[in-house]
Amino acid sequence: MGADNKARIREFVLDNIAETELADSDDIFERGLVRSMFVMQLVVFVEQEFGVQVTGDDLQFDHFRSVDRVDELVARKLAAV
Amino acid sequence: MRALRVALPEPVPDGLAPELAKRLFFVSSAIAEFDLVAEGGVITAVDLVLSGEVAESAITAKIGKVVAAEVLTQRALPPRQVWRSPVSVESFTDPFPLLLATDAAFVAGEGQVGFGEPVLSLVDYLDARLRSIALVLPRSREFRYPTLLPTSVLDRFGYFGSFPQFAMFVTRLHSDIDVYTGFVDRYRTEGRLPDDLFDQCGDKDYCLPPTMCYHTYHQYTGRRLAEEMVVTARGKSFRHESRYHTSMERLWDFTIREIVFLGGESFATECRDAVMAGAYALLEELGLAGHCEVANDHFFGNADTAGKILSQRMMELKFELRVPVAADRTIAVGSFNLHGHFFGESFGITGPDGAGVASGCVGFGLERLAYAFLCQHGTDPAGWPTSVTDRIGDPGAARSHH
Repeated sequence: MGADNKARIREFVLDNIAETELADSDDIFERGLVRSMFVMQLVVFVEQEFGVQVTGDDLQFDHFRSVDRVDELVARKLAAV
Repeated sequence: MRALRVALPEPVPDGLAPELAKRLFFVSSAIAEFDLVAEGGVITAVDLVLSGEVAESAITAKIGKVVAAEVLTQRALPPRQVWRSPVSVESFTDPFPLLLATDAAFVAGEGQVGFGEPVLSLVDYLDARLRSIALVLPRSREFRYPTLLPTSVLDRFGYFGSFPQFAMFVTRLHSDIDVYTGFVDRYRTEGRLPDDLFDQCGDKDYCLPPTMCYHTYHQYTGRRLAEEMVVTARGKSFRHESRYHTSMERLWDFTIREIVFLGGESFATECRDAVMAGAYALLEELGLAGHCEVANDHFFGNADTAGKILSQRMMELKFELRVPVAADRTIAVGSFNLHGHFFGESFGITGPDGAGVASGCVGFGLERLAYAFLCQHGTDPAGWPTSVTDRIGDPGAARSHH
């Protein structure tokens, strides 16, 4: 389940970047793989794909920098449901 | 004038109330006043005062469209303050009526105010202090720019797609003898400007600048900078804000002291941070209450609005220095911004290595800062902090000359 979530997140990111090489720990913003506006797409993706609400203190940029960090956020949100 | 309550198609969370409020006057020029109607922690309706002939259904539809496209799509982030002045204010004064009564200020039009002493010396002093903050930064230099800004400069980075509501176009009668003579003949016959005036004004090559930093990107367009640098400039800036209350709190025509940083991302960040620290120290020196918080630009009229605001706030690319002018109201007197490589790429400005530069900018609204100072310290220099009066002498209080 957990590994599956990470694969879905990775697939979404890969669908939205030109690169094909991406480590789960890569900071996709710092590497310049996406524009800053991509963070909005990530928020909406997490909400729709995993049926959780991303609000308030969840909306911290650090949660969205890499596949690993998004996966941590998703795991935390799913555990709280 | 008539009142109308418009129920919102969906309630707007309280955290997004400011985003709704700042858009309502731009929805239609028929909206003269508004109040948000809150119920159980959400905004359920807006009470409007309408002027002129306008169909209620049309207003309702316009509001529904803006709420759905630009407000409900946003994510409310919790407010985050990064600094608070140790100064607290015991009481505020509303300086503007006194300034008007003593001929120290003059309302020239909507959001346009002329002023004399003691405001003049105060504004010049505040600018001198801010200028000195800029000029101690590495490789800083000052420029004075023309007021007019080529429209192509704003076009180059998509300004009109993000901020159509602020744009101010400058035009003139088209250069053609037939246009001039036709215009003069009609003017003499009818004794007034024709309703179709703008049909004869084909030229739209220049705008009034919404801020000073665009002049700087224009100046360095296509250039390779030998070193990282700082540019500061002071100049008249113009943003159409749709509605103005009679004071110096929000002006259509105002003065910005701008500081622009061009170089690597860490250079831009370090300069931005240094100016923030300098501004905090200045506020304390001026004996002003205030705070600095994460903010966002007023993107409008665009499907990308929510994404732009969210990324700007999450990445903390914009901070505003806010100063109270009344017990329940603060105004932004300055903003501190980082742009990543956006302007470097848009204007082809490169560094010594040939790669696009990063940039940042800080802008202070001089009239607003002076106005906030007057709200907290009054209009009589005798009541001002000596740190100010020692430097500017006695410009004379706003006294009646009668």
